[in-house]
Amino acid sequence: MTQFLQIVVSGLLLGGIYSLISIGLTLIFGIVKIINFAHGEFLMVAMYLAFWSVSLLNMDPYVSVILVVPVMFVLGVATQKIVINPILKSPDVMQIFATVGVGLVLQNMALFLWSADYRTILTPYQSINFELGPIVFSFTRLATFVLAMLVSIGFFYFLKHSYAGKALRSVAQNREAALLMGIDVNRMYLIAFGLGAACVGFAGCLLLPVYYVFPSVGTYFGITAFVVVVLGGMGNMKGAFLGGLLIGLVESISGVYVDSTLKEAIYFILFILVLLFKPNGLFGIRES
Amino acid sequence: MNMIMKNQTLLLFLLFAVTLLLLPLFVTNNFYLHNMIMIFFWASLTASWNIIGGFAGQISLGHAAFFGIGAYTSTVLFLKLGISPCIGLLCGGVLSTVVAAAISYPCFRLKGPFFTLSTIAFGEVIYLLSSYFRDLTGGAVGLLIPFKPSFWNLIFREKIYYYYIALILMLIVIVITQKIAKSKMGYYLISLREDEEAAKAIGINTVRYKLYAVMISAFFAGIAGVFYAQYVLFIEPKTVFSAELSTQFALMSIIGGLGTVAGPIAGAFILTPLSEFLRAWLGGSYSGLHLAIYGVILIAVVLMMPEGIVVWFNERVRRIKAKTTKGQEVKL
Repeated sequence: MTQFLQIVVSGLLLGGIYSLISIGLTLIFGIVKIINFAHGEFLMVAMYLAFWSVSLLNMDPYVSVILVVPVMFVLGVATQKIVINPILKSPDVMQIFATVGVGLVLQNMALFLWSADYRTILTPYQSINFELGPIVFSFTRLATFVLAMLVSIGFFYFLKHSYAGKALRSVAQNREAALLMGIDVNRMYLIAFGLGAACVGFAGCLLLPVYYVFPSVGTYFGITAFVVVVLGGMGNMKGAFLGGLLIGLVESISGVYVDSTLKEAIYFILFILVLLFKPNGLFGIRES
Repeated sequence: MNMIMKNQTLLLFLLFAVTLLLLPLFVTNNFYLHNMIMIFFWASLTASWNIIGGFAGQISLGHAAFFGIGAYTSTVLFLKLGISPCIGLLCGGVLSTVVAAAISYPCFRLKGPFFTLSTIAFGEVIYLLSSYFRDLTGGAVGLLIPFKPSFWNLIFREKIYYYYIALILMLIVIVITQKIAKSKMGYYLISLREDEEAAKAIGINTVRYKLYAVMISAFFAGIAGVFYAQYVLFIEPKTVFSAELSTQFALMSIIGGLGTVAGPIAGAFILTPLSEFLRAWLGGSYSGLHLAIYGVILIAVVLMMPEGIVVWFNERVRRIKAKTTKGQEVKL
């Protein structure tokens, strides 16, 4: 029982970060109607940015947020402006390959510039653990989780109550109607892509203390984010939030009982099944 | 007019084939031969991807699965049972075809980017399974094929043999693609790519034709996989099942010209030398650079000439022709 509780706790702690990454992906899909195949690579870039801020500027990884998030926002806006805007009305093929191309460039430039080495940082609080009864929390994982939750909740609040958030949601609901109401739809696209990238920027900083960074780190997290987003229903942010926690749980539970290679295969198969049979996501709620 | 056009295409193709068949008489340098082999290899792969991705418009980013299945089938048969890769070639192709049909059939109900997502996931599943079944596949360590040159083993000391095998494979794929493009099936595929509902409404069994397309495509991807295994003599899940490989099949087609016969071939002829020369030039430090350059070219093509280089080039030629004939008319 204790072991099971421990597994659940680690699963949820892991899931928090998936949620944050996936919220960014689903936001972009919901508003711009583009699947960002470069999402994992954005995360990789964010992690490298955080890594360099820590190792070159001696910043604390959690403080590096103030540098990484704005840079990622700008990167997102630039991607939208340069690559996505011109192909908004193009056939699917072009939309898929525009972001595939961006991902390819980012990942391989990282490989070329920074080599395939795994890099990680040392923090003074890495080895701190809390104990709550029989369950152990690692400080970094807990901090990562709590911050991811706070950012997600703050983000929901922003979408719900600020003018920009309302405008974004209206574009997600109906482009034409939003346009008629005097909302600058193109500007909302820029903001959406920027915010999506900024979410990933946050996630990258939070992930750095508990993980390694290397050029293809994005592949794994990117695919996981797709799984989460499809589970939660494409474009559905609450779905992505819950889906992230769920995938974290599934991962940590199956990690104990199933071989780790097979475990991943199982959740890809689940993913395909959900795509095929529950294309609106597990929770079946439409985005409001 | 149509006759002339047809003959012109045929003539061009023959010219192309004969030039390449005779090329080794003049080029004996191993580096250049290797380059040509890689070009033919990539051209076969991207042209076979183009059948499902280009003509039928079903963007698969998991095609390395079929390539890898081909490579593993022949290699496992050869290493474990001593069956010649000449037979393994066919087995690899057939197994790829069967797996492709089984995987694609349920996924064909997904549209556009969702189909693409499902192919990525399937590609990953097959990659993971190949590393999991260590007894059969050797796991992540990979399989090494002992170097015993003989025709029966499909292993050769001289590159020239590989040159001709790869060339013939590419020529076969080109002929098949051309046949498909000019057949009823080709028109069905294009119509279902443009508007699947409309294609269904006029009575095309879209699922069946998509299946045919993916099966033909996977068959040749499988055979190319066997060729790869015999040429490199070493396969591991990380290389033959990699998502990067799948992306490359697709991007060469797109850069060359999606859904055209010449496009993928042109794509491979332009991009492959680029990566091979970068590798030769920069050596170990080059890692990733060629893919980054591919990515930049891909984005540029998507933004500036979405029809691909071949169509763009033809358009230019046509315009220049039109201009010069106009000039002559004025003179007259």
